[in-house]
Amino acid sequence: MTAAGSVSAAPATPGPGRRALAVFTRDKPALAGAVVLVALMAFCFLGPLIRPTDQVHTDLGRANLPPGSPGHPLGTTDLGYDMLGRLMTGGQTSLEVGLAAGLLATFIGTVYGAVAGYFGGWLDAAMMRITDAALAIPALFLLVVVATIVTPSKPVLTLIIASVAWLSPARLIRGEALALRSRDYVHAMRLMGGGGTRAVFRHIVPNAIGTVIVNATFQIADAILYVAYLSFLGLSIPPPAADWGSMLSTGITYTQVGYWWLIFPPGIAIVLVVAAFTFLGDGLRDAFDVRLQRTRRNRR
Amino acid sequence: MGRSETRTRLRTLLAGLLAVLLTLLTGGCSAWSGRVTDVGAIGGTRVEGGTATMALPPAAGPNWIFPIGAPGYLASYNGALQNLLYPPLYQPVRKGGTLTMDNPRNLAEPPRYGDGGTTVTVTLKKGYTWSDGTPVTTGDVKFWFDLIKDNKKEWGGYSPGLLPDNVRRFETVDDRTFRLRLDRAYNPAWFTANQLGQNVVPLPRHAWNPRNESPRKTFARLLGHAKRLSAFATDPLWKTVSGPWKIERWSTSGQVSLVPNRRYTGPDKPHLDRVVFKPFTTADSEFNVLRSGGVDYGYIPPSVMAQAGRFKERGYRVDPWEGWAITYIVLNLNHPTTGPMLRQTYLRQALQYLIDQRSIARVVWHGTAAPTRGPIPAGLLARDPYPYDPARARRLLAAHGWRERGGVLRCVRPGTGPDACGKGIRDGQRLKLSLLSQSGSTETSNQMQEIKSSYDRAGIALDIRQQPLNTVLGTTVPCKRTEPLCSAWELGFFGTAGSWYFQPAPSGEQLFATGAPSNMGNWSDPRADELIKATEYSGDPAAMRRYGEYVARQVPVLWTPNPAYQVSVIRNDLRGIDQNPTLTLAPQDWYFVKADKKAGRG
Repeated sequence: MTAAGSVSAAPATPGPGRRALAVFTRDKPALAGAVVLVALMAFCFLGPLIRPTDQVHTDLGRANLPPGSPGHPLGTTDLGYDMLGRLMTGGQTSLEVGLAAGLLATFIGTVYGAVAGYFGGWLDAAMMRITDAALAIPALFLLVVVATIVTPSKPVLTLIIASVAWLSPARLIRGEALALRSRDYVHAMRLMGGGGTRAVFRHIVPNAIGTVIVNATFQIADAILYVAYLSFLGLSIPPPAADWGSMLSTGITYTQVGYWWLIFPPGIAIVLVVAAFTFLGDGLRDAFDVRLQRTRRNRR
Repeated sequence: MGRSETRTRLRTLLAGLLAVLLTLLTGGCSAWSGRVTDVGAIGGTRVEGGTATMALPPAAGPNWIFPIGAPGYLASYNGALQNLLYPPLYQPVRKGGTLTMDNPRNLAEPPRYGDGGTTVTVTLKKGYTWSDGTPVTTGDVKFWFDLIKDNKKEWGGYSPGLLPDNVRRFETVDDRTFRLRLDRAYNPAWFTANQLGQNVVPLPRHAWNPRNESPRKTFARLLGHAKRLSAFATDPLWKTVSGPWKIERWSTSGQVSLVPNRRYTGPDKPHLDRVVFKPFTTADSEFNVLRSGGVDYGYIPPSVMAQAGRFKERGYRVDPWEGWAITYIVLNLNHPTTGPMLRQTYLRQALQYLIDQRSIARVVWHGTAAPTRGPIPAGLLARDPYPYDPARARRLLAAHGWRERGGVLRCVRPGTGPDACGKGIRDGQRLKLSLLSQSGSTETSNQMQEIKSSYDRAGIALDIRQQPLNTVLGTTVPCKRTEPLCSAWELGFFGTAGSWYFQPAPSGEQLFATGAPSNMGNWSDPRADELIKATEYSGDPAAMRRYGEYVARQVPVLWTPNPAYQVSVIRNDLRGIDQNPTLTLAPQDWYFVKADKKAGRG
């Protein structure tokens, strides 16, 4: 007697997380971005533990030493700080403020956009007009004005940058929320007596998480650039603290004298970190794109 | 967020990087087109004629021609140009390390003081005429005096108690002689330098007030003309001048072109055909024009001093223009928390011992600054009472009950005894200060970082806040202890181009006298007040030195290196330039030289 029939085992369908990971790992620029970011993080946060330098006290007797000078592979600054050590500590400020400001802006923008999109009506109209009005003011102008009034510190810079950067994610998530609020599971939740807060935080935001994460990477990249802009304009964290923007600003002073080692390292670091975040964000966007996952699976 | 946006973002980033690289390539490595025929710094044959172009400071467009400066129009470049058209009776001139009023280009003979210093008699030199041929007379000086007397509130140079308040009567003796009866006896040297000097300017009464109108009406009418910047070159009013130059062009952007006044009767007739003063919006744009040969007399930022050799190779000389000035960090002695600490002389002395002025001047200012020794220009003081000595500073603080805990000094012996911290300082109070410094200058920022570093090593915590100059100037103002404004700042610095520029006599009546308008730190010392009064009233030539030495020892402010007004770069074939510390100009002395028989430029 044989079994009435046997069904050959269908190949197991990978979950959405594994599918996203598969798409992401095939995206070489995104992988390269991730590797560069990890390397820069290690350089900035682990580097000073391995190679500690005094970045507080000046040493005028060792000012402007060129790269390759004994004990200073990247030379020294105009106040005698070791350039390699300063690049590490300066990077800490840029990355910390950039990450914090980018994540804070994404959080505010996500909640704001989700609330506006889910509730709709006059509330949506009012909230979005506020966003439109704020977007009409040049961000850099606002940043410069605020940074002139208050003394910049890491938390203050984070708040200042986040206060102008949340507008873009707010509009993006609002669009997602408009589409998600008419889904069956949201209707079902409502029929079971679920309220607006539950809908926003348990259904709208989690289902827009792909967009949120992708946007966060771009927000971080933008925030790092904003830190550099402000520092370049002389509105950085007071000395002896430094960030890559203020290092670049100081270095530009010596363009005519040919002290290239004061300019290129922080300039290249800014470009590398922003490009890395951009590639990473692009890779994540593809990884979370369901249609792209299907297309690639079908091709296999 | 799609691929196209990513590409745009990357393109923007790469464009930014490219721009930086191009800036470096064009700025640091490009060929200089400004090479001139080098005749060396000395020698050559003088040639008459030619046009010299001088760069004005960044964002400094001359905008006032009327010799009675209105408030807000007193910038040095305005005064310097006015002097070329309407020279004052007396002008300072540098002799050795000091200034004297004995200047051959003065319009008057040296003043004669009488009646115990209560009258001063001035005689105009013979032969001076206006450009229309009318002689310069005492009536023209009286015209000026009446205008400022009846309109003193509108005169930017007015200080209560000084001119014209201190003149009881103006007496006309004859066409060339007048006498001023003063309200008390004054030190003749001080009165000549700071009251007669640069202030008193003969004005063409016959051309500016032909209908003999009242001083108030005349002043209002002249002020109306003075506000029409676009008409400075065409308005007939400004055609009658007494100086060696007259206006050819005066653009609203601030470019001024002067040509010789051919009817000038003074001893210093111009050699050039024309002198052009060129405005610039930024120092960078000026630097680029200088390198391209667009100006004959320009300036470079101190950070470029390391490249002075490149300018010298191309036929220029580099000459820092030192001002008659001092530079300092103001201490707010009325601050509710730190005021009691800053009022202790030993503590101010310790803070001063920790400032390495020589190294800062050499490294941070690239040799374009000189240490400030006290309240008068450094050349007038024999020595620096507080040279850099961190060990001595530490001993001084330890001797007064300060001990380091957690990296910061704390008062462990409160009280008023000779070995205690001093009145008003609490037990355990930390020696922590906050400095509000002007932003926008790498040199200033670096100087403050160096001072902070030095203080940190001694256990003094110093926070630095950088704000734009106008914010610093608006915050660091004299205040009373009870006013909220007094809590807004502890230490202040606004001296990137020098904190205080003196009148020819560097007395302290406006700076360190009790309640003086520019005594920002609220310092008050009866002995200093006496010494300041002596510089104004007594005829003792040592009064100024005594005042300078006393106040230097008291350290009412922290003396810091005094930067040059500008680091000038001048063509080697342009000669006769004397960079006057009071920032006046004398292009009538300038001339070109040639190395051989070829004709000069022009």
